[in-house]
Amino acid sequence: MSEPVLSVRGLEVTFIGGGRPVPAVRGVDFDVYPNEVLGIVGESGSGKSVTSLAITGLLPDTARVKGSIRLGDVEMTEADREILRQMRGQDVGMIFQDPATTLNPVFTVGRQVTEGQVAHGQIQALRARERSIELLREVDIPDPDGRVLQYPHQFSGGMRQRAVIAMAMAGRPRLIIADEPTTALDVTVQAQVLSVLAKRQADTGAAVILITHDLGVVAEVAHRVAVMYGGRIVETGPVAEIFKRPRHPYTVGLLQSLPRIDSVDERLVPIPGQPPNPALLPTGCTFHPRCPIGCDRAICRSEEPPLRAVGEVHHSACHYAEEVARLFADAMPSDRIPASVVARAAAAGPPLLAVDGLKVHFPIKAGILRRRVGWVRAVDGVSLTVGPGETVGLVGESGCGKTTTGRAIMGLIKATGGSIRFDGQEVTRLSPGELRKARRHMQYIFQDPYSSLNPIKTVGDIVAEPLHIHGLYEEMGGGARITELFELVGLPRTVLGRYPREFSGGQKQRIGIARALALQPRLLILDEPVAALDVSIQAQIINLLQDLQKELGLAYLFIAHDLSVVRHISDRVAVMYLGRIVEESEKATLYETPVHPYTQSLLSAVPVPDPDARQTRRRIVLEGDIPNPAKPPSGCYFHPRCFRATERCRVEEPAFEPYPGLPTRSACHHAGPLEAVGSRRGASS
Amino acid sequence: MTGYIIRRILQLLPVLLIASAGIWAMIYAVPGTPIGAIVGENATPEQIQAAIQRVGLDQPVLVQFWAWLKSAVLGDLGRSIHSRDPVLDLIMLRVPATLQLGLSATLVGLILGIPVAVISALYPGSWIDRSLSGWSALALGVPTFWLGILLILLFAVQLRWLPSASTYVSVFDSPLGALRNTFLPALTLGVYVSGIFARFLRASLLSELKADYVRTARSKGLKERDVVGRHVLRNALLPFVTVVGLMMAAFIGGTVVTEAVFTYPGIGRLLIQAINQRDYPLIQGVILFVLVAHVLINLMVDVLYAYIDPRIDYS
Repeated sequence: MSEPVLSVRGLEVTFIGGGRPVPAVRGVDFDVYPNEVLGIVGESGSGKSVTSLAITGLLPDTARVKGSIRLGDVEMTEADREILRQMRGQDVGMIFQDPATTLNPVFTVGRQVTEGQVAHGQIQALRARERSIELLREVDIPDPDGRVLQYPHQFSGGMRQRAVIAMAMAGRPRLIIADEPTTALDVTVQAQVLSVLAKRQADTGAAVILITHDLGVVAEVAHRVAVMYGGRIVETGPVAEIFKRPRHPYTVGLLQSLPRIDSVDERLVPIPGQPPNPALLPTGCTFHPRCPIGCDRAICRSEEPPLRAVGEVHHSACHYAEEVARLFADAMPSDRIPASVVARAAAAGPPLLAVDGLKVHFPIKAGILRRRVGWVRAVDGVSLTVGPGETVGLVGESGCGKTTTGRAIMGLIKATGGSIRFDGQEVTRLSPGELRKARRHMQYIFQDPYSSLNPIKTVGDIVAEPLHIHGLYEEMGGGARITELFELVGLPRTVLGRYPREFSGGQKQRIGIARALALQPRLLILDEPVAALDVSIQAQIINLLQDLQKELGLAYLFIAHDLSVVRHISDRVAVMYLGRIVEESEKATLYETPVHPYTQSLLSAVPVPDPDARQTRRRIVLEGDIPNPAKPPSGCYFHPRCFRATERCRVEEPAFEPYPGLPTRSACHHAGPLEAVGSRRGASS
Repeated sequence: MTGYIIRRILQLLPVLLIASAGIWAMIYAVPGTPIGAIVGENATPEQIQAAIQRVGLDQPVLVQFWAWLKSAVLGDLGRSIHSRDPVLDLIMLRVPATLQLGLSATLVGLILGIPVAVISALYPGSWIDRSLSGWSALALGVPTFWLGILLILLFAVQLRWLPSASTYVSVFDSPLGALRNTFLPALTLGVYVSGIFARFLRASLLSELKADYVRTARSKGLKERDVVGRHVLRNALLPFVTVVGLMMAAFIGGTVVTEAVFTYPGIGRLLIQAINQRDYPLIQGVILFVLVAHVLINLMVDVLYAYIDPRIDYS
């Protein structure tokens, strides 16, 4: 292999100031070669982002860096500020997580794309616009001549991230550091962005460090993987080795706790406990308190294991790396249960929740008199049912109206049309007082556990609040009920008097669930309940939700964008696009035999945590973005992005009707399983 | 954009109506009448009665208000009871002086405040930040009348560079004369607002410095000077424009104390004078003018945003 582009040895980063020094990175070694993608995987606090900032010299002044970072022939830890500045943009390009905030809102995209090159004197300011157009064209931005003068807010999320890629690649750097580049994007947009990133990398031959928590993305694009935990690399090796023969119990834990789109497990195996706080690291091996194989052995508690070779190019930092093979084999049966066998019998009897033709239209007002000039059709005729004890998944990309649907069912937003029947009672026409009573048995769980709990109340009071509001505190058992609720969600009663800030994200979500359960609801509407959590914590919450469902006979309407999570937890799944349900079916059928082209594209875009799938999988990369719901396309809303669209789709709106032979309803003129339609097309052409 | 401005001006009408009713009612709530001021101490009951009828104070309140409103809309704010001059003329005579002082005070405030804010924000918590914060606190804390007197003592009495009593000299007629007469009151007010400007802009800069686009700009290899001077400052100035607009509106509404200290002939002194003389039409006129000036400056600030912030689109 050629010389590495980047060589990191013994990197340590410690943050000082404000009490005890906090070791964020504790001895990290790795190399990255030209044309190579190194995936760095880890949960929050693992030190992965700090490592990337250390490489570019962008750490805050409170950071102390030790060790060596060689980029080409420059020792970055000793270079002065001016040299580091010169190297940023020219030798290292960076791509960050959230394209909504990484671009400066008050400057045109074109200016920002080439700003670095102009600053480095690589191009003249007069030629900058020309160069920006060229760069935007290279990342597949449509109409680059027009777009170059637009501002970031006029770009969609995916286009912004492509512009950021263009910006990072502008100076043709030898190294690209991409820190969670697709985490904030929808799955179809993620697929576009990853393919642009791969294409540009192939064009320039740059080395790429891809930092992510998403094992699916890593399996999809990385050549080698480094798994970080507690500020160190705990395992590193080629991507296939890591996924097929992991040699660190943490890696095994990550793989097991991940719901997967390509198979079905009855139950996830979460990693117990929390990722460690860098300020309070456990002694010895930092993973030992959560480890299934080493926790009761003295050496794990006293001695930090070095990263040692466990194969030709495979390293692990575990005292008992050899035993991990067995752990992995036990936990992950090679022949997974096919999805169809697991499918539960559909719930009998009348549905608990029946939504029919639900519409939520928001007026658009304009002009001097603020007259209504149109409608945003956020939800435009959604029908679905949830039976007692059943879980219905509602999936779709951002802006499809899934959250608005949930809120309208809950009565938090007024429905402008259609009917919502809960337990046989029409709730859209209830008075506010009656609605409050009806809502008692229907509760909502929010996405962000960080902001949905009132910070100035104790968690005990937060959970008791719904009981007080409904005047049922004494009736339902008072303090004893609160304690019972905390135990139900797996929190000790001793935490009742504490405040939300003292809890981690996963614990806060447990508190949110306890609050929702206080009134003994029969239906929970869960809006992205695990999207903000780390992978290992996500699995704990999903398991908790499944246990609660069994124990209390709850029905769930599970709103999410993550198709793997939805597959894991749902009995039936409905797919939304631009305010409408385009396909709805039993879980097994929807994932095995989707008939709507949007569902098919969505499923094909989900990264699978299996490097082998890279070659075999057929991927449909959708072009363009989700249209504006104020100006939906004519006919079938999906037709401008659809690979099956015909003239009929442009003019005629498809009806939402049962698909023959399957327990599926879909809204498509050309519905049909992927292979069948593909071959028919092949035959006709 | 034009549509937006028209809509905003239309929205202004009910505000002005309610406010003018408030002004009218306020004067009625104050004990005493202006009649004594008109007829003098030794007037006979007949003379008083005649004056009441002439001014229209014998009419019902609503009729008086309606008559006043009707003529106010047509630009006639009545005549001063004291000087018998039209109120509008009296106000308009003072407007250029007030504008000149208000604008120069704002300018002084910006010249003093912006560098203080930028330097503090670049080194938060350092000794220089702390001493500059001390300066801002001092600028805000020292009463303007006292600072004014100190400045007069220094520049007029000791050094004899500038006149102790300022008059209004238009900058267009005599730039030097304008500078001599406006400098001290503008400095007095400017020091005060520089404290407000510096504090506000420092906070705004500090929050912008944490934004993701700053990290992006640094990752491109921009010089720190450009990162702060172009990217950060440009964004931090957006909310700052509102504060500058508010302060400017306050100055145009009259800076009673400072104008009194320097005997500067602005709107503030006109108001004081009107209140002392119980010159009700003049009081009403000045307050109405101040109100309209406030609302118009706020409108100008909002329109300005459409140009400086590309995300705002009023059409």
